[in-house]
Amino acid sequence: MSTETAAPPQMLNVQINGVWMQFPKGTRVIEACGQAGSFIPRYCYHPKLSSPGNCRMCLIEMGMPKMGPDRKPVIGADGKAEIGWIPRPQISCAQDVAEGMGIRTDSAMVQECRKGVMEFLLINHPLDCPICDQAGECRLQEFSMEYGNAQSRFLERKVKKPKNVELGPRVTLDAERCVLCSRCIRFMSEVAKDDVLGFVDRGSFSTIACHPDRTLDSNYSLNTVDICPVGALTSSDFRFKMRVWFLKETKTIDVNDGLGANITVGAREGQIYRVTPRENNDVNGVWIPDSHRLNFKYLAREDRLKDPVVAGKVTEWQQALALAGEQLKKHSGGAIAMIASARMTNEELFMAKRLAKALGITRLDVVPRDGEPDGIMIVADRNPNTTGAKLLGVTGKQPGARLAEIAQGVKSGAIKALICLGEDATKCGLTVEDLRKLEALVVTDILPNQTTALATVLLPASGWAEKRGSMINVKGRLQRLNRAIEPPRNAHDDWEILRDLIQAVSGSNGLYLIEDVFKQMAGEVKEFAGLSLSKIGDLGVPLLEIQPKGAE
Amino acid sequence: MTIPPELASKIDEAISHYPVSKRSASLPLLHLWQEHYGWISKDAVTWIATKLELQPINILELVTFYPMFRQQPAGKKHIRVCRTLSCQMAGSYELREALAKAAGIHLGGGHMPHGDQEHDSEHAVHNPEHGSPITVSADGEYSIEFVECLASCGSAPVAMVNDRFKENIKVEEAAQLLNLAQSDATTPRVQQPHPREHRLIFKNIDREGWTNDLDCYVRDGGYEDLKKAFTMKPEDLVEAVKKSGLRGRGGAGFPCGVKWSFIKRGGPKPTYLICNADESEPGTFKDRYIIHQDPHQLIEGMIISCFAVGANLAYLYVRGEFPEGAQILEKALAEAREKGFLGKNIQGSGFDLEIYVHRGAGAYICGEETGLIESLEGKRAYPRIKPPYFPAVLGLYQCPTIVNNVETLCHVKHIVRMGGEEYAKIGRANNTGTRILCVSGDVQRPGYYEVEVGSITLGELINEVCGGMKEGRSLKAVIPGGSSAKVLKAGETYKIKDQEVRLEDLPMDFDTLAAAGSMAGSGGVIVMDDTRDMVATLNNLNDFYAHESCGQCTPCREGSLWMKKITTRMLEGGGTEQDTDTLKNVADNIAGKTICAFGEACSWPTQSFVLKFREEFMAKSQKALPPPMPPEYTPGELVKNDAIPAIPAPRGNGREIMGPAATR
Repeated sequence: MSTETAAPPQMLNVQINGVWMQFPKGTRVIEACGQAGSFIPRYCYHPKLSSPGNCRMCLIEMGMPKMGPDRKPVIGADGKAEIGWIPRPQISCAQDVAEGMGIRTDSAMVQECRKGVMEFLLINHPLDCPICDQAGECRLQEFSMEYGNAQSRFLERKVKKPKNVELGPRVTLDAERCVLCSRCIRFMSEVAKDDVLGFVDRGSFSTIACHPDRTLDSNYSLNTVDICPVGALTSSDFRFKMRVWFLKETKTIDVNDGLGANITVGAREGQIYRVTPRENNDVNGVWIPDSHRLNFKYLAREDRLKDPVVAGKVTEWQQALALAGEQLKKHSGGAIAMIASARMTNEELFMAKRLAKALGITRLDVVPRDGEPDGIMIVADRNPNTTGAKLLGVTGKQPGARLAEIAQGVKSGAIKALICLGEDATKCGLTVEDLRKLEALVVTDILPNQTTALATVLLPASGWAEKRGSMINVKGRLQRLNRAIEPPRNAHDDWEILRDLIQAVSGSNGLYLIEDVFKQMAGEVKEFAGLSLSKIGDLGVPLLEIQPKGAE
Repeated sequence: MTIPPELASKIDEAISHYPVSKRSASLPLLHLWQEHYGWISKDAVTWIATKLELQPINILELVTFYPMFRQQPAGKKHIRVCRTLSCQMAGSYELREALAKAAGIHLGGGHMPHGDQEHDSEHAVHNPEHGSPITVSADGEYSIEFVECLASCGSAPVAMVNDRFKENIKVEEAAQLLNLAQSDATTPRVQQPHPREHRLIFKNIDREGWTNDLDCYVRDGGYEDLKKAFTMKPEDLVEAVKKSGLRGRGGAGFPCGVKWSFIKRGGPKPTYLICNADESEPGTFKDRYIIHQDPHQLIEGMIISCFAVGANLAYLYVRGEFPEGAQILEKALAEAREKGFLGKNIQGSGFDLEIYVHRGAGAYICGEETGLIESLEGKRAYPRIKPPYFPAVLGLYQCPTIVNNVETLCHVKHIVRMGGEEYAKIGRANNTGTRILCVSGDVQRPGYYEVEVGSITLGELINEVCGGMKEGRSLKAVIPGGSSAKVLKAGETYKIKDQEVRLEDLPMDFDTLAAAGSMAGSGGVIVMDDTRDMVATLNNLNDFYAHESCGQCTPCREGSLWMKKITTRMLEGGGTEQDTDTLKNVADNIAGKTICAFGEACSWPTQSFVLKFREEFMAKSQKALPPPMPPEYTPGELVKNDAIPAIPAPRGNGREIMGPAATR
C-alpha cells in the first residue's frame, strides 16, 4: 500500500500475428502473446523462476524493424515500421518485447517447431497416462492434443530410467516421465534456497537426482510437484488417491500462520484429497510450505466432535444451547471470562465480542502462538487472524496478556463460568483440577481435548475448510475462507453457534446469514465499511496498513 | 576423511587460481582427486563439495557429465582407444578387440577389480546404456575404455595409456601398447613441410633442433612481438586485427577483430579472455601440435590479445584428453612468469596479466564458447541462451569475456609483427591468412598442412599434398571442415558466383566452401574412398553426437540419440521403408531449434549424407513398416525378422485408424 505513485511504464508497440498492440516495457514476449490471446505452449518457462530456454516448446517467429540505409526504420504502407523477420525460430520465454518487434505464433514454421518438439518429448516418454497422477492436468497431454501426432514413428527401445524413486519424504520421482525442464532444480536453488536437486548423466540419459547423502526434505519440496509440468514428480501423499478431474476445487486461504497463503482445496464427496497453492503475488506468490499444505488430515479424524454434549451425554442442539444460556446468564456481569481464538474468523470474533458484551464479560483474550519465522514464507505468528482479533477488540496490543488474569481468577474462584472458543484452557495456565471448580464451562471445538472433556456444555464446531468467513493477515490484508466440505454430522458453523448463544442469553438478533454478520460488522467497525464478503474476492483486499515488526 | 598433505597443497594451489569463484575449482579438484586415488568415490564428491562450499549434488552433476571422471576404479593401466570416425576407418574397433585379448579383458561384461563389495558401486550414478563402459581385467592390471575423438585423426588409430599417447597403432602391435614406455606426444620428430605449404603458425612444428622451452623460443625471436604490442595502444591493436581480416579458426569463422570490438572498455566489470583449447571436433588435430611443440607462441598471442581487450586474467581451457599438453602449458606459463612475461607490470608496460590452465574432462560441448564458460564456472557445460548471454557482455562470471581458438590467438602475434594490412595480403579477400588443414581418412599421406587460405583446391590437397587416394581406390566423399560440416560427394559440381565448379576445384576457403553448401569449419578434412559404407560412416558420427549431446535442450537431446538408433538398426538389417525419410526429418527438426550450434552440428551430417547418398540409405531400409499396434515388436525383432506380421484387423492392415478419419 505504498503511497508513492510510480511513473507510468513506457508502452511499446508490438505486432502479434499481424495486429499492432501495446505492452509495457519489461513484458516477456511469452506473456505478451498470452495477453494478446495467443497462448504459447511451454514447459521450462515459469514466471517466478529464471529462464533457461531449454524445452524449446515456446519457439516463435520474431522480427525487428527493418533499418534503411539512413539507419532509421523503414516505414511500410500502413504507416508502421516494416519488420525484418529472423529466419531462425526464437524462444519467447527469455526476451522482453521491444519497440517495433514482430511476432508470429501461428505460422507454418512455428507449427512445425511445436510438432517437432512434441514428438521429441514423447519418444522416450512412457505412455502410462491411465495410471499417472498428472493425467488431467498434464502439459504433455494438453499440448500433444494440440501439436502431437496420432501415430508414432519411433521404432526404437525407449531409454530406461529410474522409476518410483523417493526423492524425499514427500516427493516421488518417475524419471522416465521427466522432460528435463529443470523447473524443480531451479525452484530449489532460487526459491527454497536449498540446492539439493540436480541433473546426473548426460544427453538423453540425463536424470533428475539428489546426491545419495541428501534427500529432497525441504519444507517447500511439494512445490516442485506443483510446477512439474508432467507426471515426473508426484506427491507421495496424494499419488494414486484420486483422479484430479473428480476433485471439486475450492479457493480459500491457509490458516497455519498469519500470512494466509492463498490455496485451492481439492475435495470429493466431503473428503479433502489435496491442498495446492493459488497465485497471489501480494501474499504467497505461487508457493506454500509442505507443513501447511499437508495439515488438513485432522479434519477427517474419526474422533471429530459431532454432537452437542451436556454432562457427558449427547444432547439435542436446542437443549444444549438453552442450558448453556442458563449457565452463563447466572454469572453475567461478574464471575465470567472468555478464552477466544485468533484462529477464528472476523465474523466469529465479532459475534464472540457481542456475546461477551451481552454477558458483561470484561476478561477475554485469545491464545497467542508464536514461532520462529523460516526466512522464506512462514511468519512468526502461527495464528491466522491475530490482526482481526486485535481490530475487533477480542484481544489487546499483546495477545494473551490477559490469560494470566483469567487463570488466576479461575484458580481463586473469582471466575465461576468460562467460555472456551476453540482453545484448550489447560494450555493457558489452568489445570484439570482448576477447571473442575468451574460451575459453567461452555466449550466449542472440533476435536476432543482435556477442556472439552470437562465442558458443562460442549458444542461441536466447524474446521477451517468447512466454513466461510474472513481473516486479516499479518500485513493487514483481508481475505476470505470458503467452504470446501461440509462439517461432520451434527457440528455447526461457529458463527451460528455464537449467534444461538447470544440469542439464548439476550433474545433474538435477526441474523440468518453470514452475510448479515458481515453487514453488521461493517456498520460497527469502520475499517470494514463498504465491504462485504463478496467484495473481498478471491485475492483479498488491503485493509490495514501494518508496519513490519521492529518498525513500530 | 584426511588427505595426504601433498594433495592438499595441490588442491589449495588449484583453488587459488580462481579468485572470483571457488566453484570454478570443481573440475581441477576432481582431476587431482582422480589422479591420486584413481577414481571418484562418493566420499570424494562430498569432500570436494565441502571444500568448495557447495552442495554434494553440484559435484555429482559434474562427475556424471564429464566422461573422463570415473565412479569406479580402472585398471593400473587405463587404455583409452579412440572410437570416432577417422580412427574407426583406420581400424580402432579391431584394435580395441585385440587390446582386450592381449590384456585378458572380456569386453561387454566389465567387472570390478578388487571385489565388488569393497567399492561403493551402488552409488555410481550412471546410466549403463550411455557410452562404453570401462572394462577391467580380472587381475586389475588393465582396463579399456572406448572414447570419443582424441584429436589426432591424421595418425589414426590412436590410443592413450594412462597419460601417454600412441599414434598409428597397428592392430597386430596391440600387445606392445600395454607396456607403452614413451609417449608419441613428447617424442621429438623432424619433418619437412610440403612445398605447397606456407608455414606461419606451424613454423616450428617438427622443426629440426626445436624445443618447446622458453629459451629456444626467445632465441628464435620469441616475445619480440609482445614488446612491440606494448608500444601500441590497445585500441590500435584491435584495429590492426580488424584490418587483418582474421577470422576465427574454431569453426564459425567469425571475424576476430569485430568480436574484440564488442568489448566495452572502462566499464565497471573486469574483462576476461579465454583460450579455447578444447580441440574436439572430429577430424581436427591442429591445436595439439601448437600446445605440445610451440606453447610460447600461443602464450605470446594470448598476452597480446589480453592487452588488446584489457583482460588482466585469462584462462587456457585445454581439453582433458591432453594431459601432457596441460603439463607443457603449465611449464611454459611458469617460464613466462619467471621471465617477467606474466604477472605484474609485464616488461615495464604497466600491464598486469595472469594466465591459468584449466583442464576439461572429455566433453565435446565445452568447445561451444558459452558451454566452455559454464564449465569454467564449475558447472555442467550447458550452453547459454543468446540473447541475453553474449560472452562479450555477459560471459565468465557475467563479465565481458572473449573466447578465442588456439590457432586464432597465435595468428594475433603474427598480425602484430606484420601489421594488419600486410597480413591481409596473405590468402584471399575476406579469407585472409593461413589455415591449418588437418587431413585424415583414406589418403596416402594424412596429416596437417598449413596453407594460405584459398591457395589450394580440394583436389590439389588430396592428390598433390596428401599423395592421392590409397592404392587402387577412388574418392567417394569428403567432409571438408570437421565432422559436423556437410559432406561433399565425388563428382558433384557447385554453382558458385554463376560458375560451375567441380568438387576437386573448390578452393579451401571460408566463403567458397560455404557457397558449396558446407563449411571450412575447423579445418578438419576427412576423406572417404569407394570402399566406405555411408550408412556406417554416418552411424559413427551419429554415435559421437548422441554421446556428446549435453542433454539440455529437447531437440538435440532426444533427436541425436534417435538418429543414432535408426542408423544402427539400419546397419543391423532392420531398416524399414520409412527410415530414410524419418532420419532426414528428425535432423530437420533439430537444426535451428536448439540453444547452441550443436543442433546444427549433429544434424548436418545426417541431412547431407541422406540427401547425397540416398540410394545407399534406401538399400538398407527395405523392410515393411511394422504395425504400430499389437503385436508387440522390438527393434531386435525387426532386425531378426524379414517383416513383422500384422494381425488381420477389421479395418485395413491392422493399423488403427485415428482422428477424424475414424469417424467418417
